[in-house]
Amino acid sequence: MPAKLLMKKDLKSWISNLIGSYAVYGPRPKGNDFAFERIHSSDQIVLDYSKTILPLKKFLLPPYEPVLRFEDGKAQRLPEARAAPKMLLFGVHPCDASSFAVLDKVFISDHRDDVYAKRRENIITVVIACREPGENCFCSSMGTGPSMERGYDVLLTDLEDRYLVESGSPEGDVLIEEVPGAAPPKPIDFERKKRSIEDALKKFKRKVVTDGLPELFRKNLDNPMWNQIRDIDLACGQCVLVCPTCYCFDISDTSEIASGNGERLREWDCCVLLEFAEVAMGGNFRKDRGARIRQFMGHNLSYCIEQFGRFKCVGCGRCIQACPVHIDITEVASKVRGG
Amino acid sequence: MKDPYLPEKAVITKIRRETVDTKTYAVRMLDERKRAEFSVEPGQFIMVSLFGIGEAPFSLSSSPNSDGAFNTTIRAVGNITSALDRFEEGAVIGVRGPYGHGWPIESARGRDVLIVAGGIGLPPLRPVIGKIAQERGDYGRLEILYGARTPDQMIFPYEYEDWRKIKDTRLELTVDSVPAGTVWEHKVGVVTTLFDEMKTYPEGSLVMTCGPEIMMRFVVRGLLAKGFAPNQIYVSLERRMKCGIAQCGHCQIGPKYVCKDGPVFRLSDIQGLPDLAL
Repeated sequence: MPAKLLMKKDLKSWISNLIGSYAVYGPRPKGNDFAFERIHSSDQIVLDYSKTILPLKKFLLPPYEPVLRFEDGKAQRLPEARAAPKMLLFGVHPCDASSFAVLDKVFISDHRDDVYAKRRENIITVVIACREPGENCFCSSMGTGPSMERGYDVLLTDLEDRYLVESGSPEGDVLIEEVPGAAPPKPIDFERKKRSIEDALKKFKRKVVTDGLPELFRKNLDNPMWNQIRDIDLACGQCVLVCPTCYCFDISDTSEIASGNGERLREWDCCVLLEFAEVAMGGNFRKDRGARIRQFMGHNLSYCIEQFGRFKCVGCGRCIQACPVHIDITEVASKVRGG
Repeated sequence: MKDPYLPEKAVITKIRRETVDTKTYAVRMLDERKRAEFSVEPGQFIMVSLFGIGEAPFSLSSSPNSDGAFNTTIRAVGNITSALDRFEEGAVIGVRGPYGHGWPIESARGRDVLIVAGGIGLPPLRPVIGKIAQERGDYGRLEILYGARTPDQMIFPYEYEDWRKIKDTRLELTVDSVPAGTVWEHKVGVVTTLFDEMKTYPEGSLVMTCGPEIMMRFVVRGLLAKGFAPNQIYVSLERRMKCGIAQCGHCQIGPKYVCKDGPVFRLSDIQGLPDLAL
């Protein structure tokens, strides 16, 4: 795959060029945090960010959107939902880029959701390898960072005064051609990339041992820790909302009283909320808060292997950061090992 | 490719009241091409849409005929089912599916079949009874144990005589309680009360059970105590479902999706999973 070197001083002009040809989205400051939002000028983007509040799933599965429209007794998939603009996501972290592989399994592999698939096809990712993992990050444990070998269109690696720019797809090849003033990389640059990854790996404060973890989790469904977690858990659902691979949604209908026409809406749902597993006549198979948080953790660390052939958790640490009572998925993973 | 969320239109051709809160709806696909290709295995489910009100999963109480007509028996207990309860013959609904895995009709061939049903758990098993009656020679003895809360909660009572006439078939009924003034000639007690005189034995047989999960819990215990093995017991599970296609996530039990891997499961395939009352 083609690769180039981009001097840091030329980064902004490259981004400006991209803004001319694509709808570019990137990490922008938002309060004390960052959010992936539309970039109109190269000054708005901040590449040494920790993590965005919401992950990239918001572009593929908006928090709330109509999927069907009923009119005069006819149901139609909404044409608005079908329109998927070409989007370039600039400065994506490897953990977030890895989340697409999980979502694709759910929305393309079995029953193809056309709207999702079109959006997905129209997303181009420029990934930036992480040099400074955040205090809650553990992607190195999940095999989803701090850099990545595939699953990107373009990969940037920070080499102090320059970036190594590598293409990972035909789309990436096209993007790379536009990189201004770029010299071809030498073997030493790839050496420096390797060292940069090694340096980043040393900085991780959190670790999950994944060997045998899915099976161990299944053997710990009755671990007393679930009762301890139940006692502090607020069931607020923030962990699920900020999880890059949590895709569960609810469906509900609305109707206009006068015409009888209406819409069917899809909106994010949370397995940690009480109503999530409710059935007819007030039945609920996960009435217990501990069972609900166990579902979130189990889906991420265990059940996913049978469903997707990989971990659902990408180690971004957002659920740890978001939790008001400090429930920590890496601690859970260590406790199922008797830790 | 067809959009997985888009329902096909179907018309309610006939409504028959079963109990105070349960009706059987005869439904027929509107589109002529769809009629011929609409095929549903016993125990699979469909998503029924009431446009502007919502969508919910239901099993079929009869296999579709070649004309795309089928029955579904529904108890009015929630928003959607209560709205459906107010629908009249001729009303148009939406249908998606069928989805999931149904009863082990094929592996049951040549074996005795024990059906244990409770309350609204009987309708999904009715197509199995129909299938065995139709291809009687292919199956061993058939034993149906059915329990309901009260005599007037029994579904399909008008068919029991016909079922008893199926060759080598035994039907036993029980109710939890008999209100004063009601005539009842059968057993009183939960459905496992009927296990004492059960004529099906573990050897060469297969069990299909459907009902409230707490009922199936005791059914399973009773069967295991009688020497049945977990790999010859099949249960149909109920979970919240919003999509039917393993996307919305609601029906997950550990790694299993009830909509995709079920709703009918072999007990040995789900033992030890979390959040299961079995």
